Amino acid sequence: MSRDNSADSENRLTRRHYVAGAGTLATVGIAGCSGGGDGSDGSDGSDGSDGSDGSDGSDGSDGGDSSAELEIVHWWTAGGEQDAYQALLDGFREEHPDVEIVDNPAPGGAGSAIDTVIQNRVIDGNPPSTFQIWPGQALTPYTDEGLLQDIGDSVWDEEMRSAYLDGVRDLAQPAGNLVAVPINIHRLNNLFYNVSVVEDAGVDPSSIDGPQGLLDAMETVAAETDATPMAHQTQAPWSSLQMWESIFIGQQGADDYQSLIGGDVESLESEVRNSLETLAAYADYYPEDAGSISWDQGNNQVIEGDAAFLHQGDWAAGQYGSADGFEFESDWDMVPFPGTSGVYQSVIDSFVFPTNNPSPEATEKFLNYAGTVDAQERFNPIKGSIPPRTDVPMDEFGDFLSRQFEDFQNSNTQPPAIAHGTAVAPAIQSSLSEVFANFNGSLDVDSAYEGIRDAF
Amino acid sequence: MSSRIFAALTRDTGGSDSTESDAAAEGDAARSPARTDGGAVADGPGDAAASTDAPSESLRSRFRRSRFLESLPFWGPPGLLVLFFVYGAIGWNFVISLTGWEGLGSPDYSSLSTEMYTRLLTDASFHAAFRNTLVLLLAFTVLSLVVGLLVAILVDQKIRLENTLRTIYLLPMSLSFVVTAIFWSWMYNPRIGLVNEVLRGVGLESLTQAWLSDPQFKLAAIIFALMWQFSGYCMVVYLAGLRAIPDAQYEAARIDGASTVRLYWRVIVPQLRASTMSATVVLVVFALKAFDFLFVLFGVNPGQSADILSVMMYRVAFDRIQWAYGSAVAMVLFAMALGVIGPYLFVQYRRGEL
Repeated sequence: MSRDNSADSENRLTRRHYVAGAGTLATVGIAGCSGGGDGSDGSDGSDGSDGSDGSDGSDGSDGGDSSAELEIVHWWTAGGEQDAYQALLDGFREEHPDVEIVDNPAPGGAGSAIDTVIQNRVIDGNPPSTFQIWPGQALTPYTDEGLLQDIGDSVWDEEMRSAYLDGVRDLAQPAGNLVAVPINIHRLNNLFYNVSVVEDAGVDPSSIDGPQGLLDAMETVAAETDATPMAHQTQAPWSSLQMWESIFIGQQGADDYQSLIGGDVESLESEVRNSLETLAAYADYYPEDAGSISWDQGNNQVIEGDAAFLHQGDWAAGQYGSADGFEFESDWDMVPFPGTSGVYQSVIDSFVFPTNNPSPEATEKFLNYAGTVDAQERFNPIKGSIPPRTDVPMDEFGDFLSRQFEDFQNSNTQPPAIAHGTAVAPAIQSSLSEVFANFNGSLDVDSAYEGIRDAF
Repeated sequence: MSSRIFAALTRDTGGSDSTESDAAAEGDAARSPARTDGGAVADGPGDAAASTDAPSESLRSRFRRSRFLESLPFWGPPGLLVLFFVYGAIGWNFVISLTGWEGLGSPDYSSLSTEMYTRLLTDASFHAAFRNTLVLLLAFTVLSLVVGLLVAILVDQKIRLENTLRTIYLLPMSLSFVVTAIFWSWMYNPRIGLVNEVLRGVGLESLTQAWLSDPQFKLAAIIFALMWQFSGYCMVVYLAGLRAIPDAQYEAARIDGASTVRLYWRVIVPQLRASTMSATVVLVVFALKAFDFLFVLFGVNPGQSADILSVMMYRVAFDRIQWAYGSAVAMVLFAMALGVIGPYLFVQYRRGEL
């Protein structure tokens, strides 16, 4: 391996030439490739129409064999949610055996990961066939850019329109035209309680009149028992945000709430401050470890009899169902959050029809199916939610959901929820979440009010 | 074969005298060309004639055989790729931060302004995040270095079970942040967490806190948890540095009557400057992007008492779909990272260690 300079100088020369030549070729080749990438990147980024043209082209090329493939992006990956989703797919397969489903979950509680996935794909002009999203204001980033197809004619026929309540149907048309199919409704303004703890304390939940009355009830629980009065979590801000919503509706009514989410915060200053003060007062009755637990760990304290109340969406009831020997009405029960009895504050999931769709026909079939009685009857009992259609038979739903469904049909109003995307645009929702993340730590009403005012 | 290619590459510098270089190459083919400093001297006898006799041809042949051109195939392609995918992306990010891009449409490159940066200056949550990032960066780095050094010195005492202890201390480093974040959220649980249990156990009931929810302690609790994870890394770096110091120096210092503290403070620690430098850079860069830990604990909204720039960047860009504003936050982070890396690289360059 020693260098033999004098002897093979000529050989070395050719080798050098070769290496240089090959290197130059490689460089040019790579520069060419990356140049090509540069070009397409540039057109994607700088010129939306060019980018989408390009992807149209590629859709066309493989459209022949992929048109029957339905790609669904969703976040239902945990326990009962997963089962409910599978039941929905089973029903769809029975109806449309020709459509192949590409299941593409983006796990992460309450859609924390799905937004990123969907937004990137939509911006790249490569949306999935359909995806799960909260209806209402959460849709506005998409409708602002015309990224959702109007399905008012293709999916929402007269029969389906008449089966949905107005408040729910309105959420499917944030920009005036129908773009989403709501598939389930959770109620947010619930007050769950452990029956025996509440009885020990001598409190009757159904007679609590308003958020202030709940404060007195919690004081009684704290005085009379060893249990934590309110199994609330403050690790992530959304639970406090949704409890504040319920307090506000309980104190001021749904009309003031509607003008609040309309952005009119300043004329409601004293009302907002009032509700924040109530929420701050509740903080005395949270578990000691509220800042380190998730909502379901809090709910466990209710199941074990270590806590009395829980304010949570009715997905919390799923946990009671899977707990042994913890029965509805005898061990746990629920009343509408004090002051909100005629209100069915709604947390809704829906599916949409993105434009530039890789499989328009299959998507239309799926959305049509999602709006049927059959789909909602399969999906909702397992999910623990009620169907948005009012004509779904309740045989499969159990006592609790049947009661909720009755409340829903008798409700005066179905206001949307801030913490779950339907009430305000995502940017406002995120700002409000930040306000309540700070409020959880500081309980500072002044800065929280200013934060709420500035968020809108 | 590899040494021949290497020799061809460095022929300009190394091959000034073929016999000498041959002799050296016999012993250490790879090192000798780099050691010789004869770049100006021409290669063979023919080349030497050309370079002195005909200046025009010398330019051509020098161009042909210039090191820059010859080595281009080797650093060129990766250089281009890095330029395009790393620096190009940073540049594009900067351009986006000058637009007003929000929502799911396309950015408008026609009107660029620094509005996003002026908005940063008046944003209270940016102030909090910036302050927390600085605190985290300083406290976390210094604490990790100090703890790492102390542990390294203790492990270096030729103790029994040294390898076992070293593994135990280094183990946290190999865990995912998702695991350590959840692990520490249990440790800090005020009701059943080990931290408070221990405090209660030794009669310090009054010191128990709601570590992760009290704004006063939130950031400190996070810094401590991160330090727990990273001091093992510092220990390994320092241990390597300590092992490089000859025993004779310990003995000499002892003979001169130095106490243990004095021995380390005056003789050993000053020699660990290189270890400190490299560990610091790794720690600081990590502190700037300590995203996972906070994201797992608190989601996108840790609250102003624990918010840091990387979490804010994610929140603004992906939760609020304000891409331009998020890009501006990212540029601030980039500038901070550059502010740490730049001087380090410069010092290394000045010392000839690059």
